[in-house]
Amino acid sequence: MKRMGMRGYGGWAGKVLRVDLSTGRCWTEDTIERYKAYLGGTGIGYKVMWDEVPAGTKPFDPENRIIFAVGPLAGTGAPCNGRTAVTTLWPTCWPEPLVASGHMGGQFAAKLKYAGYDAVVIQGKAAHPVWLMIADQKVEIRDARGIWGQGIRGATAAISGIMGTDAVVAAIGQAGENLVPMSVVMSSVSHSAGGVGSVMGSKKLKAIGVRGSGSIRIEGRKEDWEKLIKYHLTLLGANNQHVVPNSPQPWAEFDNPTSRWNASPGRSWGASAYPVDTGTCDPRDTNRIAYRSNNAAFFLGDIAWRYTVRGNGCTSCPIRCHTMLKVPPVTAKYGISAVGQNTCTGLLFGAAFFKEFPDGPRGMARLEACMVGMNLADDLGIWCNYMQVQRDFKKLYYGGVVEKKLDAREFRSYSWKKYEQGDPAFLFELLPRIAEKKGELGTALGQGTGYMLERWSLSEEEWGKDKDLAYWKMGHPRHHASEDSGQCGLLINLVYNRDPTCHAHTNFLRNGLPLPVQKKIAAEIWGSAEAVDAVGEYKPMHPSKARMAKWSLLRKELHDSLSLCSWMAPWAASPLREREYRGDVSIESMLYKLATGDDKDRGELDQIAERIFLLHRALTIRAMGTKEMRVRHDKIPEWVFTDKSGRPPYTKGTTHLDRNDVQTALDMFYDELGWDRATGAPTRGTYRKFGLGSIAEALAKRNLVPE
Amino acid sequence: MKGRSEKNDRTGREDAAAERAAALIREKSSAGRLVSESEIISLLEEERRKCPDSLFTRLPDENEDVHRLSGAGSHFYYSSRHMTEIYARLLLLKLEGPLRLIAETVRRNSCACRRPVPLDLFTQPPFNLTRQEVLDSLAEMSRTEGWEDIAVASTSASVVFLYSRAHLETGHAEMLAEWLDVGQVQNP
Repeated sequence: MKRMGMRGYGGWAGKVLRVDLSTGRCWTEDTIERYKAYLGGTGIGYKVMWDEVPAGTKPFDPENRIIFAVGPLAGTGAPCNGRTAVTTLWPTCWPEPLVASGHMGGQFAAKLKYAGYDAVVIQGKAAHPVWLMIADQKVEIRDARGIWGQGIRGATAAISGIMGTDAVVAAIGQAGENLVPMSVVMSSVSHSAGGVGSVMGSKKLKAIGVRGSGSIRIEGRKEDWEKLIKYHLTLLGANNQHVVPNSPQPWAEFDNPTSRWNASPGRSWGASAYPVDTGTCDPRDTNRIAYRSNNAAFFLGDIAWRYTVRGNGCTSCPIRCHTMLKVPPVTAKYGISAVGQNTCTGLLFGAAFFKEFPDGPRGMARLEACMVGMNLADDLGIWCNYMQVQRDFKKLYYGGVVEKKLDAREFRSYSWKKYEQGDPAFLFELLPRIAEKKGELGTALGQGTGYMLERWSLSEEEWGKDKDLAYWKMGHPRHHASEDSGQCGLLINLVYNRDPTCHAHTNFLRNGLPLPVQKKIAAEIWGSAEAVDAVGEYKPMHPSKARMAKWSLLRKELHDSLSLCSWMAPWAASPLREREYRGDVSIESMLYKLATGDDKDRGELDQIAERIFLLHRALTIRAMGTKEMRVRHDKIPEWVFTDKSGRPPYTKGTTHLDRNDVQTALDMFYDELGWDRATGAPTRGTYRKFGLGSIAEALAKRNLVPE
Repeated sequence: MKGRSEKNDRTGREDAAAERAAALIREKSSAGRLVSESEIISLLEEERRKCPDSLFTRLPDENEDVHRLSGAGSHFYYSSRHMTEIYARLLLLKLEGPLRLIAETVRRNSCACRRPVPLDLFTQPPFNLTRQEVLDSLAEMSRTEGWEDIAVASTSASVVFLYSRAHLETGHAEMLAEWLDVGQVQNP
């Protein structure tokens, strides 16, 4: 077995694989030499995009890159290291495509490292459908004409048949092939990165299969590494780092009915070979972490316990956020497999299209809709855009827009009665048409919200007024914004080009601990207890909220670059009473230092994360051709400022914010980041501070840096 | 000498009985149960041990992990090695009947955690009431003095939450119930 490592550093595999599908050329670059200052993951992604993809490039142009990148912790024993960042120009970003990243779990990240690579950068466009075979040093562009047109499951099985069961396959479905922007790439048939399937399709790249026989060198002493991993495991909570159980347990001081820690005596995996009682799950028992969360039961209701086989998940992650379900009735009823697995929005994909079900909101019909939705979407490779496509669909149908926009023949071709009655069979009519761009409705929904609104002459502003619709901006929804995390969530949602997929803030706020305990920990991390409020009891802006927002988004970029799961990390709180529920915000740097041997502390890693995010901002400014980010980019939907109850902002029972206070929040946030208040663009001094002086100069030549 | 020896024997027997009682408390706590004084006395009698007069004073004094709670007409013991105080108090409330159990749990959540709780919480372990028992208890509360603060909020998914009006204002509780039941699932 060969061991990876480069120039004295552990952690990294040492090479970045480059593939030009236009020429068929494959070559490698030195990771440390070119990318160490950006760690890996999104850091490598943004760096490649800055260096190689000029402004004005479109997502489906051969010049666009799609970068599958992991970090120095991928494939090690660090908990929750299974995420691959996929960076490219985002096809659903409206009105113009901008850089963004998706994040794919599973085993792909580890396999890529074991094969000897920290990233795969794909450019060009193949003459016919191909798939990329990576088997250690053997890299081949193979003919995919035989599997083009197949779904993700079929393609995965076919490639696994060639490469062996030890290989991991990331494939697109028909949606990606047909250049449907709302499409995914999916590894191990359930771990998807949304929004990028069509970019692979535009390059005629059906899949990447990876097999690796190497290992990752850990630079530190074995006993120190094992001690650190064991310590890290003690800090873990349940899914999304919820640190209290959702019902009283003998060991617990606190419980919270909405925690994802839903294990309890009496709650069993009912469809496993024999029922497995999840038990009390004392946090000191790190061998039972995998029993703590059942996401199917959390999202679909108690009915899911009966059909749960077990949890599933990514490399070296004990959380197992994907729940495997076995629902035998769906085979006879819908002709689909009785077994399916996914997590949160993947589980909800099918059910979220419906307004109601015949047996209520937590019944069997909803569960069946979830099974049908997973079966179809995870094979066709359709993206939900954090369930925006489902919310759009409901609004469009019940608002009469669908009937107006479709010709009578197409409208009649759908069984609307079935839809209104909550019959999951309706999904067989709708989802394949999205993947095939068939008809006006399928085509429009597949474009993503922004382009759909434009196509149908609907107003984005109107879309942004409806809080229940959850639309944010640029074709994407909010993702833990003000409805959830006050000003902090709002600020994080402003600066990305898609929904931000940042959980550092919301994982803390929803961790289940009582507010006084949260405030005590918050004061230690963000300098003031004022950093956090309870939902429905928001207080006006405070500088510590801006610090928390900055910290959260930098930690997201750090995790995406180290390959720690941004759905679990950071570990700001823990379930341990003896620690007064403190987590450890230095765990990332402790892992990094021991794995790589690069002696960087928490502050230094945070600085790298800031460099990475600064690059994201620079890419956005360059592509938009303006420095007026405060007005042109960091837009806020109207629903943030309104409330049906008529209560004033910052009173009990409402989550809406005050306009002036939000402007104060922006000022404080820009100050924290070293960005110009007036424009929201980073200053020349800030670029220089983080080693990006040449980028400042390049932008200054186009008048894109504030004076 | 004889008197001293008898005294030593008696002290030894009392110590052994106290140790046995502490062991019983730990054993029951690890199984998620409180132990009453009468249960301890019965056990010692079954094992032909004499229950020392000072036993129930000694237990918490001599065992850092053993704690006493009073309620439901008796004194109860638990070991904090296996159970938190809050969990032990919840078990005590169970012994005091469903009305107290529901009302005090709802009040604690509304006051300390500022949240309503779903009605179905009480049908799950460790509460283990039937839905009908919960509904009957709520009906009885509505007819009886002392429970006026316990109120109900329903979500758009028809899930019923309970809260205490003494600690949460109605509109606030309704907003939180909707957020906890529907908002969080749609905002994963």
